[in-house]
Amino acid sequence: MSEGRAVPKTAERLGRMLVIVPYLVQHQGAGLDEVAGLFDVTPAQLRRDLDLLFMSGLPPYGPGDLIDVDVDEDDQVWITMADHFSRPLRLTRQEAIALYVRGTELLATPGLPEAPALASALEKLRASLGPEVLGGNEGVVALPGAGDPPPHLELLRTASSEHRRVEIEYFAASTRRWSSRAIDPEEVFSSMGNWYVAAWDVATDEERLFRVDRVRAAKPTELRFEPRGLEGAGRPLYSPSASDVRARLLLRPSARWIAEYYATDDRAERDDGCLEVTLPAGDLGSVARLLLRVASEATVLEPPELREQVAALAREALANYR
Amino acid sequence: MEPLERLLNLVGLLLETPTPLTFEQIREILEPYRQENVGSAKRMFERDKDHLREYGVPLRLVDVDAWGTEQGYMIPKGEYYLPEIAFTPEELGALLVAAQSGGENAPAEQAARKLVYGADGGVLAGLGGGPLASGSDARSVLVLAVAEAVQTGRVISFGYRSAYGDASDRTVDAYAMVFRGGHWYLVGHDRGRDDVRAFRLSRVTTEVEIVGDGREPPEGFRAADHVQAGPWLAEADEEAVIRFSPDVAWWATSSFPGAREQATLDDGWVRVSVPSADEDALAGMVLQFGAEAVVEEPASLREAVVGRLEQLRV
Repeated sequence: MSEGRAVPKTAERLGRMLVIVPYLVQHQGAGLDEVAGLFDVTPAQLRRDLDLLFMSGLPPYGPGDLIDVDVDEDDQVWITMADHFSRPLRLTRQEAIALYVRGTELLATPGLPEAPALASALEKLRASLGPEVLGGNEGVVALPGAGDPPPHLELLRTASSEHRRVEIEYFAASTRRWSSRAIDPEEVFSSMGNWYVAAWDVATDEERLFRVDRVRAAKPTELRFEPRGLEGAGRPLYSPSASDVRARLLLRPSARWIAEYYATDDRAERDDGCLEVTLPAGDLGSVARLLLRVASEATVLEPPELREQVAALAREALANYR
Repeated sequence: MEPLERLLNLVGLLLETPTPLTFEQIREILEPYRQENVGSAKRMFERDKDHLREYGVPLRLVDVDAWGTEQGYMIPKGEYYLPEIAFTPEELGALLVAAQSGGENAPAEQAARKLVYGADGGVLAGLGGGPLASGSDARSVLVLAVAEAVQTGRVISFGYRSAYGDASDRTVDAYAMVFRGGHWYLVGHDRGRDDVRAFRLSRVTTEVEIVGDGREPPEGFRAADHVQAGPWLAEADEEAVIRFSPDVAWWATSSFPGAREQATLDDGWVRVSVPSADEDALAGMVLQFGAEAVVEEPASLREAVVGRLEQLRV
């Protein structure tokens, strides 16, 4: 018997059953598909697990001592004789900490309507698990960002959940220009302290990522869209394109934040604390403005025309003061 | 018989038994251990115990009687079952959203699934949509390792590269962890520098090593005090007046915290007042607007901006 290979699988199934059975006991008649979805298994696998479940029970393991599982013709699950599994196993320290950490990350997101419920849930979790699991002192803390949530966040979240097309006025930071456009907002999510909407841009007929705080006006339309499955949270915030320019920069220590804030590649550490990076960007203009900000703390290695562009921008800005 | 079935029976048996059971007694009750070769039955039992412990089942070996002549196994119900926590449906919904956010994290998801066992079906039905947040910029294994060190009060060591690029090894009493603006920070007593410091986890260059038990944080310790706010968030004692071009004025006003629009001028440019705590940082932010921002006051900020532009014009 290939017990060796079956072992991790068995342990995993055990862990799953000790969590699913209590749910089934408390939710008699729950739909097989719904439960499978909630616990992230396929309905077929759940069915196989349940088939085994009703071979188990308590001593003396007579017919009346075994767990009785019935999946009826409507795929609803009914379960009896499983009182000993009517409550789940308590959280391990690792699970409790992992959930607490995730909750804290979300709590620090500005403008989250779920924040009060999340904060009280984390407090109850901490109180119930006790200091031995979630620490006695201050522990893991969320510091929400400053400022108000973006004004149109709620409207965009609602439109996204209703699959409703929205007309927006948007400020593109790279080109410094306003535009009015219609978008199909699919996923609204927060990343690194900012809110984004992954949407289909109707006019250009392509996917685009918008910063919610740069939406000056938003108006829902009557039109509903069919979601295309655009990726939300977790996607890279900068999508490279073939038309990108690639600026090679030498960052002195006080300008290293650029490499932490923007997506860069081909990083090379130098012994003196300087960092060489390549910064891909849609156009050189936005890189030139960034370089204006860090002045002598960054040097352009390539391309040479970027150096000229920075100087030209500096002269143009200086003219405002003459 | 399938191993899963055997394990489920073992858990049920040891949960419900009124007295601890020795391996011999378990063997009599549970058929799968009743094989002829006692040695291989024992080995199977040992593996099963490992599986149970791996999933956090509190399997205990305790004295069978007051004289301690024999020991047996049991699973104390008080340690096994999740304590009752009276979550509202909104709270459970928020925890589920949190568990899904921030990328793959099996333990967090498993925790949330345990907690929903008694939830109203409606809570779960209302959970459309994907995860709400991308989590932090640090490796999630590292985040969990540091969180565990904080919760258990350990001293840890790790390699670190500061914001200014200096690489060094640090040994730190892990006091607390703070999340802000997409970054996790460890706050603790840096033993090498004999001072409380904050470390951004995305700048940690190695795995974290547990050195031992750490010290308690000092009286009145507040983690948030040690994580630097951005210069423009600090208490602003001055106000700068900046003029922005019509194109960028709205964006500029909303991106400087505390900024207020004062007037729209004849040429369409907008005069905005901006709280200024750190002139140097503010000069940098103004410069990033290129020729579309002009400092009016104070004179010192105006000179700082002009001075930096002079350097760059050639």
